[in-house]
Amino acid sequence: MLDGSNQGSPGRLGAWRAGRSDLRLHALSVFSLAVAFVCLAAALLVVTNIQAVRDRWARAGRATVYLHDGAQESDVGALTRALEETGGIARVRRVSQEDARRELLANDEAMAALPASAFPASIELAFTDQITDEELTTVALRLRSLPAVESVETYDRWTERLSTLLSGGVTAAVCLALLVLGAVVSVVGSTMRLLLQRRKIEVEVLRLVGATNEFIRRPFVLEGASQGALGSAVAVGLVGLLFLLVRGSFDAQLATLIGVAPRFLPWEMAFGMIALGGALGAATAFFSLRKLATI
Amino acid sequence: MPANAAQPPFHRQALRQGHRFDASAARRPILVFEDVFKSYRPDQPVLRGMSLVIERGEFVFITGPSGSGKSTLLRLLHRTETVDNGRILFLGRDIARLTDTSVPALRRNVGVVFQDFRLVPSWTVYDNVAIALEVLGLPTRLVRTRVGEALERVGLAGRGADAARVLSGGEQQRVAVARAIVGEPALILADEPTGNLDPLLAVDVLGLFEDIHETGTTVLFATHDRSLLDIRPRRVVVLDEGKATDMPRGLAGGTHPLEEDEAWDDGGGDLDGEFDRAPYGHDEGFVDGDEQVSGLRRAV
Repeated sequence: MLDGSNQGSPGRLGAWRAGRSDLRLHALSVFSLAVAFVCLAAALLVVTNIQAVRDRWARAGRATVYLHDGAQESDVGALTRALEETGGIARVRRVSQEDARRELLANDEAMAALPASAFPASIELAFTDQITDEELTTVALRLRSLPAVESVETYDRWTERLSTLLSGGVTAAVCLALLVLGAVVSVVGSTMRLLLQRRKIEVEVLRLVGATNEFIRRPFVLEGASQGALGSAVAVGLVGLLFLLVRGSFDAQLATLIGVAPRFLPWEMAFGMIALGGALGAATAFFSLRKLATI
Repeated sequence: MPANAAQPPFHRQALRQGHRFDASAARRPILVFEDVFKSYRPDQPVLRGMSLVIERGEFVFITGPSGSGKSTLLRLLHRTETVDNGRILFLGRDIARLTDTSVPALRRNVGVVFQDFRLVPSWTVYDNVAIALEVLGLPTRLVRTRVGEALERVGLAGRGADAARVLSGGEQQRVAVARAIVGEPALILADEPTGNLDPLLAVDVLGLFEDIHETGTTVLFATHDRSLLDIRPRRVVVLDEGKATDMPRGLAGGTHPLEEDEAWDDGGGDLDGEFDRAPYGHDEGFVDGDEQVSGLRRAV
């Protein structure tokens, strides 16, 4: 008579009992949150990849020394030898006007009509990994002061441009994060109020039997947290799936074009986003019910 | 022999530190109403200086016409409402002065049963009863045992797995009673618990409360069903015009002050000659007799 078989489900926590019948509402809420988090995850993905490209170019480890058209062969030879003996420089390669024309035409024959004089002679430098940005700048400054040198390209302008782009991306991601925050507060808050309305009788019974405010709010806070975490997890999953599909098609081209293969969000960031979703959901549920679900 | 040899192996303090034992506390009335005022609108007070003492282990009917303040009285006891003036002492403590954190403790000591059962239809019978123990954080095994005992006491043994919504009205009320008693509270408040039941079931449920009372629990049974008051000659407190008239020997011991009140429910029986006219049965220390009589006559 008193055995557990006919006594319902004694092992369940009362806190979870109320959530059983609201699965559809939860699913809707999770979907809405996932849409918001997809925007944030996509923005973070773009930022992550811009950062990777910038880092790649910042560590390009090469420079091009463009020579004056009238530069003396002896000056250029002396310069080449001097560069070869300079610390931090791994490789020095002279590229004549003819070589430059040939290399360019190999990629683009439309420029075949251009004369050889249109292509400046240059010295291509490859640096060791140990060279710092300051040392590179110093070398470039010294080279620019030489009479045979017209200009020195260290490609740092690309890094600067990418840095500018990156800071723009970070700003956009912050704006999106605020938007997501608003969406989480709105969606979870509304869902909690709706749930509270639907579970009016449960809450009333809990008050009746002497439940504390914490006991009454706990299931709602847990549900808010799980909605937030699930919503962001679904978003990360969706973006991951899209990333895999896109990467399959454009991976090689992108790697050739920018020198870096596209990469997904680091796992710390992905888990951080899920944790953020959970924390936001819990906090929103707690604050939205602070006055409503009281004894 | 060691100095502490006389100590029991698991010595526990009987009282918290800083609390002195007070023998008189055990003899205090369970409930004392002192000049209680309550109104929802300034011009229509529900309770006007009501005073009453209820001793431990009593079974008291609270009765009166609709709107006389029976439910308000019980809500004040459960701290769903607070008094505007006066005091209600439960085991010597002023209910209105309890802090928000102490209110749950009060409610765990007071079982409540309503006319509309207040069960969660989607939960099982077991869940509906167990929740009263789960809020206490009791271990699952203990909850299971005590819920089983409570269901057995109300005649629902073996029905724990049934959903509350599939039960009949009488069975649902039994579940509500089981929920009220499972925590072994000092006081049971029943707010028109037979209002939704047919006369036979009403008597049945009343019997259930009497069984609970037999175990020493104080029961306040609010009803406006005169037939129930007739069946059981117990102490009756009549509420009307915001005041309480105490009839310690029940209706048989004195004329019911609201005999001719149209709002009175006779529980389906014949009103005529149901109650003998006799002097109002006041208890010393309560509302002044003349004032009460004139007030009650105004009501009828």
